[in-house]
Amino acid sequence: MYYRIIRNDIIKSKAVTLITMIFVAAAAMLVSLAAILVVHLSGSLDTLMKQAETPHFMQMHSGEIDTARLTAFAEQNSNVDEFQVVQFLNFDGAQFIFGEKSLANSVQDNGLSVQSEKFDYLLDLEGNVINVSDGEVYVPVSYMKDNTAKVGDMAVINGKEFTVGGFLRDSTMNSSLSASKRFLVSSNDYAEIKNLGNIEYLIEFRLKDMSALGAFETAYASAGLEMNGPTVTYSLFRMMNAISDGMMIGVILLVSLLVVTIAFMCIRFTLLAKIEDDYREIGVMKAIGLRISDIKKIYLAKYAVIAAAGSILGFALSLVFKGMLLENIRLYMGESENSSFSYVLGIIGILLVFLAIMTFVNGVLKRFRKISAAEVIRYGISQDKNTGTKRFILSENRLFSTNIFLGIKDVLSRKRLYVTLLIVLVISSFIMIVPQNLYNSISSKSFISYMGIGNYDLRIQLPGNIYGNTSEKIAEIVETVKTDQAISKVAVLTTKTFKAKMEDGSEENIKIELGDHSIFPIAYSEGKAPAADDEIALSTIYADGMSKKAGDVIALVIEGQEKELTVSGIYSDITNGGKTAKSVFTDHSAGIMWSIVSAELSDKSLIDAKVAEYADKFDFAKTSDVDEFVTQTLGSIISSIEMASYAAVAVSLVITLLVTLLFMKMLVAKDRYSIAVMKAFGFTNSDIKAQFVSRSVFVLIVGIVLGTLLANTLGEVLADVAISSFGASKFNFAVNPLSAYLLSPLMMIIAVLTATAIGTSRAGQIKINEHIKE
Amino acid sequence: MKKILIGDHIVKTFGEGDEKRNVLDGVSVEMGEGEFVAVMGPSGSGKSTLMFALSGTDSINNGKVVFDDRELSSASENELSDLRRTAMGFVFQQPTMLKNLNILDNIILPSMRGNRKNAAKITEKARANMKRVGIAELEKRDITQVSGGQLQRAGICRALMNSPKIIFGDEPTGALNSQSAQEIMDIFSEINADGTAIMLVTHDAKVAARTERVMFMRDGKIVSELKLSKFDGSDMDGRVEEVTKKMWEVGI
Repeated sequence: MYYRIIRNDIIKSKAVTLITMIFVAAAAMLVSLAAILVVHLSGSLDTLMKQAETPHFMQMHSGEIDTARLTAFAEQNSNVDEFQVVQFLNFDGAQFIFGEKSLANSVQDNGLSVQSEKFDYLLDLEGNVINVSDGEVYVPVSYMKDNTAKVGDMAVINGKEFTVGGFLRDSTMNSSLSASKRFLVSSNDYAEIKNLGNIEYLIEFRLKDMSALGAFETAYASAGLEMNGPTVTYSLFRMMNAISDGMMIGVILLVSLLVVTIAFMCIRFTLLAKIEDDYREIGVMKAIGLRISDIKKIYLAKYAVIAAAGSILGFALSLVFKGMLLENIRLYMGESENSSFSYVLGIIGILLVFLAIMTFVNGVLKRFRKISAAEVIRYGISQDKNTGTKRFILSENRLFSTNIFLGIKDVLSRKRLYVTLLIVLVISSFIMIVPQNLYNSISSKSFISYMGIGNYDLRIQLPGNIYGNTSEKIAEIVETVKTDQAISKVAVLTTKTFKAKMEDGSEENIKIELGDHSIFPIAYSEGKAPAADDEIALSTIYADGMSKKAGDVIALVIEGQEKELTVSGIYSDITNGGKTAKSVFTDHSAGIMWSIVSAELSDKSLIDAKVAEYADKFDFAKTSDVDEFVTQTLGSIISSIEMASYAAVAVSLVITLLVTLLFMKMLVAKDRYSIAVMKAFGFTNSDIKAQFVSRSVFVLIVGIVLGTLLANTLGEVLADVAISSFGASKFNFAVNPLSAYLLSPLMMIIAVLTATAIGTSRAGQIKINEHIKE
Repeated sequence: MKKILIGDHIVKTFGEGDEKRNVLDGVSVEMGEGEFVAVMGPSGSGKSTLMFALSGTDSINNGKVVFDDRELSSASENELSDLRRTAMGFVFQQPTMLKNLNILDNIILPSMRGNRKNAAKITEKARANMKRVGIAELEKRDITQVSGGQLQRAGICRALMNSPKIIFGDEPTGALNSQSAQEIMDIFSEINADGTAIMLVTHDAKVAARTERVMFMRDGKIVSELKLSKFDGSDMDGRVEEVTKKMWEVGI
C-alpha cells in the first residue's frame, strides 16, 4: 500500500519532488567529494613525503658555512638519524630561459640542485627518485602547470644549454607559498656553473624520534650554528603542501553545509504544506484509531525514497567530478595509496546525509501530535492562530494596493511556512555577496597594506651576502634612485636577525626590518608603526607566538647587552612566512639578511620602464614591480576567489530560482481554494499573480536585507578567518556598492520574479466551480 | 419589464469520448430586472452549472448568455471578472471566505480591488450592511470564530457591497438550520424589495416558496416552471404546498 501512496504522491508533484531530489543530490555529491578529497589528499601527501623522505628539520642558510662543526653537532646529538647539507645554486629568474619564455618575472628564488644523497629526494611524476643525466634538467612541477616548460624543450640556464628531461616533485618546495624552487641537474653540470651564482645551503636533519623535534630545535639554536635564513620543520612542510587543496576542501564542506540546509528547508516546506493539505485525512486517521507512528511511516517512506535516490545520484556525480578536483593533488603529490578507502568514506558521508534527512523529516512530523482529531472533524481546517497580523487590516490599509496587501498579509499570517523560503533567500544572498566582497577587497590596491606591504610601486631587493659589503651597494642604489626625477618617494628597509629574550629566559631569533616605516605605511591591526628607537612592531604570528600585545615590552640581546623595546603595534604580514618585526633603531652589530629599497613613481605609466632600467643597472639585486609581486604571491588566490565569486553568483541564482519555483508551485496547489474564491468575486488572473509576486518579493526584500547584513557581519568574520590563515588579520570588506547593493539584489529579484511567473502560470487555469463547491 | 439576464439555448458539455454528456442541454432562461427566481432540481440536474454559466463564471459550449445587454461569450476573461465584481453578487452554500482575513476584510475585499482611495467609504458601507443583517459586532472576528448563519450573513454583505444588479445564490441556506435559513431568506426578500434581482439554486421548497417564479430542471433541461405572486409575508404554507405539489408533478 505504501508503494501506491508514494507513487501517486510523487506523480502528482513531479516538479516539487524533482527539485527536492536535486538539492539532496547536490548535498550528497559535495559531502562525498569532500570525503574523497580528504582521503586522497592525506594519502597522497603521506606517500609523497614518505617516498621523498622529507627532512624533519631544515635550516636555510646563506653565507659562510662550517660543515665540520655541523657534522660534529649531528654526531653528538643522539636524536639525529641522518644529516646532510644540500646546495642550492641561486640564479636570477632572467637566467632561466625555456624556448621563448623566461622566469624573469618570477618572484620565486629559482636555483639548481643535484639529487640528494641520503634523503629529501627529488621525485619524478611516478614517485621515483630521479636519476638525471648530463645535459638534462628536471623542472619543478609548478612550471609544468603554468605551461612555462614542456618535456624536450631546450632550456638555457645562465648561458648553459640543457634539455628538459622531465618534471619533479619537491616535497619541501612544491607549494607556491614556499619562496624557492629547485631545478635538478647532474653533478657534472652543476660543477660547471657552480661559480656563476649564489650558493645557499639547506642544512637538513632526519630524526629518530619526531616527537622530540622541539627539543632538537632548541638544541640547534643554542649551539650557535648557521642560521642565516628561515627554519622549516616537517609539520610546516606538510601544511604548506596541503594548504591550497585543504582550502578547497574547506570551501566544499562549507558549501555542502549550505546546500544541506537548503535541502532541509525544501523538505520542511513541502512537508509542512503537505501536512496542511492532508490535515483532514490525518485527523480522520487519528480519529479511527490509527497510531501516529503508522501515519508517520507513510510520509517517512516517501522521503526515504527521495533521499535515497538523491544520495545515490549524488554519489554517482561525485565519482564523475572527482577527477577534476583531484587533478591538482595528483600532479603535485601523486596517487594515494588508500584510494579505495576514499569510496568507503564517501559512502559514509552520503549515509550521514541520508540519516540527517530522515531525522529531520521525523522531527518535522512531530507536528502530528498537535493535530486534534476532534478539531479537524468539527472545523475541517487547521486552527493556526494568525499571531501578530491582527493589526494588519485591509479596512485600515491606506498604504498598499489591495493585491500587495493580500500578498503581505498572507506572508505574515503563515510565517512558519514562509520562514523556510526566507532562510533560503538569506543564504542565497549571503552566498552571492560574501565572495564578491572578498574578491573586491583582496583585489583592491589598498589590500596589500593589510598584508604587510606598503603602497609603493617598485622594490629592489638585495640579498645580505653579496660581495661582502652590502651597505655600499645599498648606498649606491639609494643614491641613484633618490636623484631620479621620476621617483617621488624612497624608503630603505634592512632586515637583520636579532636574539629576543623569551619569558622563560630562552633566546630566540627574531627578524627585524629596520628603517623608516612612515614613508610607505602599512595597516596595523593594533597600535601604530614604530617611531622611536625603543619601539618595535610585531607581525601577528610573532605577537601570537610570544603572547605580546601593543604596550608590552620585549627584550633584545645586542652584543651581550639587553635592549628593551616597547611593542608599538601589531600588523599582518604574508611575506617571509609571516614572521617579521619592524623597528627604527640603527644597528651595526648584526649581519644584513636582506635589504629592500622601495620607491614610488610620480608618473605610474613609467613603472615598467623603470623596473627594466633598474633591473639592468643593478644586476646584483632583484627589481620588481610591486603589482607583479602581489600578483605572483597572491595572484592564484585572487583569481580563484574571482572564479569562486562568479560561481557563487550563478549558484545562488540557481538556488533562488529553483527554490522559489518549488515554493510557488506548492503554494498555488495549496491555495487553489482561495484563488477560486477570489476569482469568483471578480479578481482577475493578473490580480492573483500580483498577489503571489508581492508575497515572494516581500519575502525576498526581507531576505536580501538580512542576507546583506549577515554578509557584512558574519561574512566579514568568516573572510577574516580565511585571510588570517595566511598571516593577515583585522580585515574589513571593501564593498563595491554598485554590485553588492544594486546589481546583486537586482539579479535576485529577476530570478524570483521569473520563478514566480513560471510557478504561478497554472493559477490562471484554476476552475472556480471545481474548487468552490466542497 | 427590461430583461437583465437572457440565456439562449445554452449547451455545456462535461467529459470526453464515451463519457461525454451535456450537463446543460439547450437551456433557455430569461430574468427581468428586480425579479426573484428559484431553480430547483435533483442533484446532478445541472442547476449549479446553469448558475455558473449565466454568471460568466464558467464557459459554455453552445448558445449565448446576455447580461445587462452584453453578450458574455464574446467578453474577455478580465471583462468577465470586472463584471462579476461590479454588477453581480454571489452567495454560496459554504462560506467561501479567506481564512487569514477577518470578517470585515472579507466583506470589503472585492470592492477594495484597485479602489484603495475609497477605503473609508467602502468600510462605512460594509458596516452599514453588517448592521442591516445583524452582525455589526463581529467585524474584527476571524471566520472560525463565528457561526455558520453569521458567516452566511457576512457572505450576503459581501455580495451587496458593489450594489449589484443581480445576486446569484447557490444553496445559500443549504448548510443552515431552519431558523437561520428563514432569517437569511428574510434578508434576501428585503434586498429584492430594494430592486435587486436574485436567482437562488435550492433543494428546499420553503426557500423556493418565497420567490416569485420557480424553474424545475432535470437532465440538463428546464422541464417546468411555476409562477407565484410576490411574497408579502402571508400564506407561506399555501405557497410551500404549491411548490411541493409541482415538484411531485415534475418528479423531483
